[in-house]
Amino acid sequence: MSVHREEILGDFKLVEYVPFKLTRPSYGVVALPDAGLVGVIAAWHIIKALGLKEVGGIDSYSYLPPAIVVSNKELRMPVRIFAGDDILLIYCEFTLPIHGMAQLSRILLTYFERKGVEYLLLMSGLPIQNRFEVERLRSYYVATSSRASELVKGVEVLPFENGYLVGPYALLIKDAMSFRLDTLMLLTESFLEFPDPEASARNLELLSKVINKPIDVKELLEQAELIRIRARDTMKDVVRNLAQMKKGFEYSPPLQL
Amino acid sequence: MSEDLDEFLKRMRRVERRIREYIEEGIRKTLEDIREEYYSINTLLNPSWSCEGHLRPLYTIKDVGNAYVIYIDLPKADLNTIDVRFKDNLMIIRARLTEEFTISRWSGRGGEVRFCEYREVINLPIKVDPNKVKVITKGDRIQVIINKE
Repeated sequence: MSVHREEILGDFKLVEYVPFKLTRPSYGVVALPDAGLVGVIAAWHIIKALGLKEVGGIDSYSYLPPAIVVSNKELRMPVRIFAGDDILLIYCEFTLPIHGMAQLSRILLTYFERKGVEYLLLMSGLPIQNRFEVERLRSYYVATSSRASELVKGVEVLPFENGYLVGPYALLIKDAMSFRLDTLMLLTESFLEFPDPEASARNLELLSKVINKPIDVKELLEQAELIRIRARDTMKDVVRNLAQMKKGFEYSPPLQL
Repeated sequence: MSEDLDEFLKRMRRVERRIREYIEEGIRKTLEDIREEYYSINTLLNPSWSCEGHLRPLYTIKDVGNAYVIYIDLPKADLNTIDVRFKDNLMIIRARLTEEFTISRWSGRGGEVRFCEYREVINLPIKVDPNKVKVITKGDRIQVIINKE
């Protein structure tokens, strides 16, 4: 693992393996384990489809397990940073405790700010109780600014108008607002406790239009069964963590609408 | 004198409340640590696959009032071989995979195992009368409805 730059940020260590620059307009994508692993599965496909290169990683002795990723004989950090042209993508399959997530969220936003990221794009699942019966998945968006809303102009996606969002992405959105980073979150109906590549594919179709780059989801859908098998252990761990974050609160209608 | 006593009693109640909250918080954290430890050991000793080629499926149990609904995720399962049986409060599931497969590019561990079947035994909250059970298959996911009455 060659190191170009290393930096300690709070309880986290950020390492860049190679120098890189983003072209404009630049997008930051963060994929963290949440409902149906929708964001993580989608990010894995973006990396492959757009040929993103692994340019860095993030580790923490306080909040991440003492683990190292071995990828094609290369040693990598548990939180992985990929980049290509105008996209900077953070990929993490590990669940972090809330306090760790809060710190990581601010670190990522500081990093995006430094790298000149103009938009933060998030993708997640919107767990629905009857996902077993539903075949046509509905998608929604949440935007932190009118500039971010502009990204979905002409895209077939509904605004998420009322309700709660709970989990790692809720933390990121709150911090993104403090950082004044234009943020768009895409949410597609999904399972909560089962990996849901179909929801990931739907989010990717929308993202493709948002960033104006073709992302073919055919391969993702073809491999959906294998992905669901491979993702079982991660999913089990995520469900436990989401319960601790009180994810179930998303099913409650707000009293004040 | 009486005002002083009232004030003293108020302060004592505040102190008592703080001590109680401190103890409750301590108990809560200790219980969380125990749960975490138990979960880690359980995961360590029971991975979701076996070197004999069996996979354990993901499942979830929901209490919907008059029934329990169990959803089981069985990707790549051969639908004609899904076998669900009940014994007391146990649900026993087996299903062959449509084809044997290995998890490619996974070094050592399970990377060389040829997986061929799902096997799981689920502990249910009630003893089950198989006549009151409905099994619905949707693709490679199944829904088992167990009526409580």
